[in-house]
Amino acid sequence: MISLAGRDILHSWSKFVFTGIGLGLLIGATLTMAGVYRGMVDDAKVLLNNSGADLWVVQQDTLGPYAESSSIHDDVYRSLLTLPGVARAANVTYLTMQVRRGQQDVRAMVVGFEAGQPGEPEYLVAGRQLTRSHYEAVADVKTGFRLGDRIRIRRHDYTVVGLTRRMVSSGGDPMVFIPLKDAQEAQFLKDNDAILNERARTAANPTLNRPGVPGLLDAIQASQTANRNVNAVLVQLAPGAAAEQVASAVKRWKHLQAYSRSEMEEILVAKLIATSARQIGMFLVILAVVSAAIVAFIIYTMTLGKIREIAVLKLIGTRNRTIAGMILQQAMGLGVIGFIVGKTVATLWAPYFPKYVLLEPGDALRGFLAVMLICTLASTLAIRAALRVDPATAIGG
Amino acid sequence: MKITQPSGSSLGLGLLAAVLLGGFGLVVARSGPLAPTQVTVAHAEERALRAELFGIGTVEARRSYFIGPTAAGRLKAVHVDVGDRVKAGQLLAEIDPVDLDERLRSLEAAYARAQSAVSATEAQRKDMLARREIAGLNARRYRDLGDQHFVSASAVESRQQELTSAQAAVDATEANLQSARQELTRLKADQDALREQRQNLRLLAPRDGIVTSRDAEPGSTVIAGQAVIRLIEPDSLWVKVRFDQGRSRGLAVGQATRITLRSNPGQPLAGQVARIEPLSDSVTEERIAQVGFDQIPPGLSVGEMAEVTVETTVALAALALPNAAVKHTARGTGVWTLQDGKPAFTVVRLGQASLDGLVEVIDGIRREDAVIVHSERDLAPGKRIKVVEQLAGSLK
Amino acid sequence: MDGFGIRIEGLRKRYGEGDTAITALKDVNMTVAPGEVVGLIGPSGSGKSTLLKCLGAVIEPTAGRMTLGQEIIYDNGWRLPDLRALRRDRIGFVFQAPYLIPFLDVTDNVALLPMLAGRPNGEARKRAGELLEALDVGHRAKAQPSQLSGGEQQRVAIARALANQPPVILADEPTAPLDSERALGVVRILNDMARQFRTAIIVVTHDEKIIPTFKRIYHIRDGQTFEEPGKAREAPI
Repeated sequence: MISLAGRDILHSWSKFVFTGIGLGLLIGATLTMAGVYRGMVDDAKVLLNNSGADLWVVQQDTLGPYAESSSIHDDVYRSLLTLPGVARAANVTYLTMQVRRGQQDVRAMVVGFEAGQPGEPEYLVAGRQLTRSHYEAVADVKTGFRLGDRIRIRRHDYTVVGLTRRMVSSGGDPMVFIPLKDAQEAQFLKDNDAILNERARTAANPTLNRPGVPGLLDAIQASQTANRNVNAVLVQLAPGAAAEQVASAVKRWKHLQAYSRSEMEEILVAKLIATSARQIGMFLVILAVVSAAIVAFIIYTMTLGKIREIAVLKLIGTRNRTIAGMILQQAMGLGVIGFIVGKTVATLWAPYFPKYVLLEPGDALRGFLAVMLICTLASTLAIRAALRVDPATAIGG
Repeated sequence: MKITQPSGSSLGLGLLAAVLLGGFGLVVARSGPLAPTQVTVAHAEERALRAELFGIGTVEARRSYFIGPTAAGRLKAVHVDVGDRVKAGQLLAEIDPVDLDERLRSLEAAYARAQSAVSATEAQRKDMLARREIAGLNARRYRDLGDQHFVSASAVESRQQELTSAQAAVDATEANLQSARQELTRLKADQDALREQRQNLRLLAPRDGIVTSRDAEPGSTVIAGQAVIRLIEPDSLWVKVRFDQGRSRGLAVGQATRITLRSNPGQPLAGQVARIEPLSDSVTEERIAQVGFDQIPPGLSVGEMAEVTVETTVALAALALPNAAVKHTARGTGVWTLQDGKPAFTVVRLGQASLDGLVEVIDGIRREDAVIVHSERDLAPGKRIKVVEQLAGSLK
Repeated sequence: MDGFGIRIEGLRKRYGEGDTAITALKDVNMTVAPGEVVGLIGPSGSGKSTLLKCLGAVIEPTAGRMTLGQEIIYDNGWRLPDLRALRRDRIGFVFQAPYLIPFLDVTDNVALLPMLAGRPNGEARKRAGELLEALDVGHRAKAQPSQLSGGEQQRVAIARALANQPPVILADEPTAPLDSERALGVVRILNDMARQFRTAIIVVTHDEKIIPTFKRIYHIRDGQTFEEPGKAREAPI
């Protein structure tokens, strides 16, 4: 027996291919939507992975450095290092701000870290890690910066010496890594006008500018411009140490909040991107319905165009199963073409999205099954129509 | 689209299917999680490693002077302004002496009187000495006459008593004289002290220098120790540099440095480490050192920011790797080496690092070992990788 | 195949029930011998379509008897469980238009029936090739139906009707779209085939051009058949 569906597809292949491409673009959009969600989750995971930490120590009663602002003193890490189970601990700051290159402004999350400590970018795609303790930066390629670029963060110029990939904040802003001290300064450093203003304000305060106490004003002003705070301390645990134990010790004795890796993931995924995820889920449902409708309409129209042939086929003794199979196979063929096109275009256009789009093979497989299911369901309408065709219509007009 | 030739139709169809499937296969294999991780690889090799140290600092004067009064007073005049070059001994400012001059005059008068008193006493003493001489002559003559019994013993005794009395009068006048002289000395000292005090109200430049600040104006009252004028010696400008403690190994006095001033970033200036402070800043975890200029550039301003690069060692050949290859993990510091085309984590011991991103490997890998430098994403042992020349977004 | 090609006795067909019922066939009696071609002629509404549908086993008659070859297939009710197989294996259809399946080439259009009957593809195609050769369209075996002329298409349609060597072929206005020369050609082919394959062929037509070619003709009027001898004494040349 020959495949009627196959022959029909081969016969009117242009119609199938063009319809398939159209459907494919829709499926591509669907896969991309799923990819956007996966990308957001993956961004969060990469953010956590990249920090190289097992434990995040942040201000008490806050949700960590990513979901909520947190400020702790930068000597906290020393006391954390004394806790049993802590292998390494390092200060880190996060601040989203504008980074300038020439005339161009890039919104970026500026990360202050200590070289060789947790928080350092784990892998680079070009260049090197920081070697100077000031005024060097490692930037994500998404910023558009290149090696050797001079970028300006607040009052200082930094040289881009290395590039990372996939280092973005939970909001999708690319990261720029700079030495911790510079970052601390940048975080609290005001512009010149503000500094002068503040100085004048302090000088005008008679209790701070006392004639009998020379040097007091200077001391106060110096203390105002210095900043000794960081946003979090990243802790790496010694092999074999239990994160929960160390975390509870930190919470109990240091009066700070500590999150383990899984808690942090929960915060990022459940709290930060939950709404986006639902939004995307809604989109997926709509796209699935639209896809189903398109497949159903197309297959139905194609079947109606073949009513005469179907009547003849039935008259000459073709079984209903064969005819239903033909339509089903055509619908699935359309689905396969659509899926292949969709997966291909999704993969091709994914890198051009401003945020990371992760196309998981598992999603692709699920997508394929969904497409097949949708096609099967969509073809039932056409199959019903085909089975209702009276073979008698072939006779006598 | 009407296909008239069956062969053409099937050909086109086959082509289309091939393109579609080929493209599909390509994108699935080339991107996404199934694709191998692209990496770049470097070989460990002997390289000239210039261990350098980078720090930032501010220009400071090695010697600066805060010039102010030693006692509280009101400022009478300030003779110099910010930026003036002054010579050693130049009058910079004066404190109002108030009654000091009058007290000095009164003291001078007392001194003159004391001098007169000394002269009077001296004259008295001369008179007494003369009397004693006559009394002595008389006494000796009476004693001789008494011995020859020309006069009575009582007359002799009387003359002898006169001599003793005259001697006593001399002693008394001498004591008076000494006292008057001491009074004179005291008054002289008082006078000197007051003059000194008067002199002290004149604020003089201790060295040649430049006025950096004028902190009080005439009429204002200053307390003892408060600076009126600040002076620096321009020849003594150097840079106070703060180095990260963690990298400050090998820092020593005399090492050559390059100083890049904020005002002139294009032209590094040569200098030397002049002093390393024995105290580190424990709060900022920084080592502090002073770096002197070989030649102080004109127009250098105190407080200007400078970037300083110190060559802590001369270039040495060592087994070196790019620092992008080094990973710090809980298992220790190490690198991903290529073993049979798969990544494997190797723990290494590192030595010196250079500012251009090379790091010496003391232990852990051998020469010519292939080490993964850059990678597209996280590596794991045995992960599928593909070695490429360079990854995206490299040098222009 | 001996006996009757097809024999119809007292066939009746009523549509609907009660007062609104319409009797399309009142009393149809026909016998067509194997190898014989008969004409079935009647005006519109005479019931010839209904008769054809009954013969073609796509609608069920109300009463009567139909015998195909040796076997009674209808006797006040179908005697066969699988009408589809009956249509496939034992009745050939030739329609007004060729009604070829557009997405199958000529060979497969013919070979489809044996394939549906469960023959292997190779055997079915071989048989199709032979039939196409016999019908003088062998050279178009690989062509698409849309590439054929009207006459060629109709010949392919006849080949399809013959593909499973049915004892009877029902031809529904097979010459309607054709000019007289081609129409006569088709009739000639049907006669040839009837002789060659011992097939009983009923040609429903009102085509004046070909009516004279039948040896026997059944007229159908108001659901009743009347047999009359055709004008042709000999098989048409």
